[in-house]
Amino acid sequence: MSGTDWAMLAVTAAAVGFSASRNREKTMKALRIALKQFLNVLPFFIAVFAMIGLFEVLLTPAQIQGWLGSGQGILAPIYAAIFGGLATGPPAAVFPLGQYLLNQHASIAAVATLLIAWVAVGTVTLPAEISFFGARFALSRWALALSLSVVLGLVMGWLL
Amino acid sequence: MKRFVKWSKTNWLVWAVAAAYVIVAATRPEAAADGGIIGLQTFGELAATLVTVFVIVGLFQVWVTEDFIMKHLGEGSGFRALAIGAGVGTIIHGPLVGIFPLLDALLAKGARAGVIVAIVSTWAIKLPMIPLELRLFGWQFTLLREGLLFASAFVMAPLMDLALGKDWARHHRATGQGMTGIITRPEGDLDG
Repeated sequence: MSGTDWAMLAVTAAAVGFSASRNREKTMKALRIALKQFLNVLPFFIAVFAMIGLFEVLLTPAQIQGWLGSGQGILAPIYAAIFGGLATGPPAAVFPLGQYLLNQHASIAAVATLLIAWVAVGTVTLPAEISFFGARFALSRWALALSLSVVLGLVMGWLL
Repeated sequence: MKRFVKWSKTNWLVWAVAAAYVIVAATRPEAAADGGIIGLQTFGELAATLVTVFVIVGLFQVWVTEDFIMKHLGEGSGFRALAIGAGVGTIIHGPLVGIFPLLDALLAKGARAGVIVAIVSTWAIKLPMIPLELRLFGWQFTLLREGLLFASAFVMAPLMDLALGKDWARHHRATGQGMTGIITRPEGDLDG
C-alpha cells in the first residue's frame, strides 16, 4: 500500500471517529450501509477488473490508441461518449477502466469523456425520467449531457 | 427468478465478462489465466481506496438526508438558486431515478427548470468517489474534471431553459405530470 492509501484510510478513520462522536447510532448505520453497498457492487467490480485483465492480454496498446488515441481527434471522445452513455454501472467502476485506457495511450479527452458520460448521460434511466418530467425535458437533458461530456472531455484534453 | 433477472440486469457486465473468459479459455487458456491474475492484482491495488470510498458513501447516506437538503434549499432566485442547486447536486447520492421524486417535489414547490437541471448536472459529481479518482488520476485531473462538471451546471441550466421555454415548470405543475409518491426509491441501488 502506498502513502496515499494510508493517508486516505487515516482521513476516513478520522471522519468515522468524528461522526461517531456526534451520533453513534447513525455512524453504525453508515458502516452497515457501506458494507451493504460494497457487497452490492462487488460483482460488478470483479467483472470490471476481470475485463481489464482480459483487455491487457488480448488488446495491444496500439489497438487502444487506434480507437481512443489522440490521433483520432474528436472521434475518440465521441466513441467514449457513446460507450459511456450506453453502459451503466456503479460510478466507482468506471475509474479503474479509465485509468487502464489512459495507460494504454487512450487520449485524455477520451478518458475524461468516458468518466463523465458514464454517470451523467443515463440512457437506461431515460424512460423513468420521461415519466417524471416529460419527453421534452428528458430528451433535451440527455442530448445536452451527451454533447457536454464530449465538450468537457475535449477541454480537459486541451488543458492537460 | 425475478430477483435473479433484476440482479443480472444491474450486473450485466458479470455475464458478458464470464462469457468472454469462457471463449478465451477455450482457445487460449494461458491468456485467460494471465488476464485473471492481472485483474486480481489491479483489484488488490485498489482495495484500500475502495474501503475509503464505501465508508464515505455510508456516512453521506446517513448525514445528507432529503430533509437536510429541503431545509437548506432556500427560496433563492436567479444565479443564487442555480448555485444552491449545483451545491445540492454535488452532495446528493443514489441513482438518478432515486432523486426524481425529490426533484419533482422541488418543482412542485416552485423551483424553476434551471435549478432542477443544475441539480441533475452536478449529480454527476460523486464526492465520495474523489479519493478513487485522486488515487488513479492525480490532483490535476481530478480538480479540473470536478471543477468543469460543477461549472457545467451553469451552462446546462440556461441551455435547458432555452430548450424547454420559459413556461415549462409552470406548465409541468399545472398538468400534474409529476408522479411524486408513485415511484419510490429502488432498492439495492448501485450508485454511490
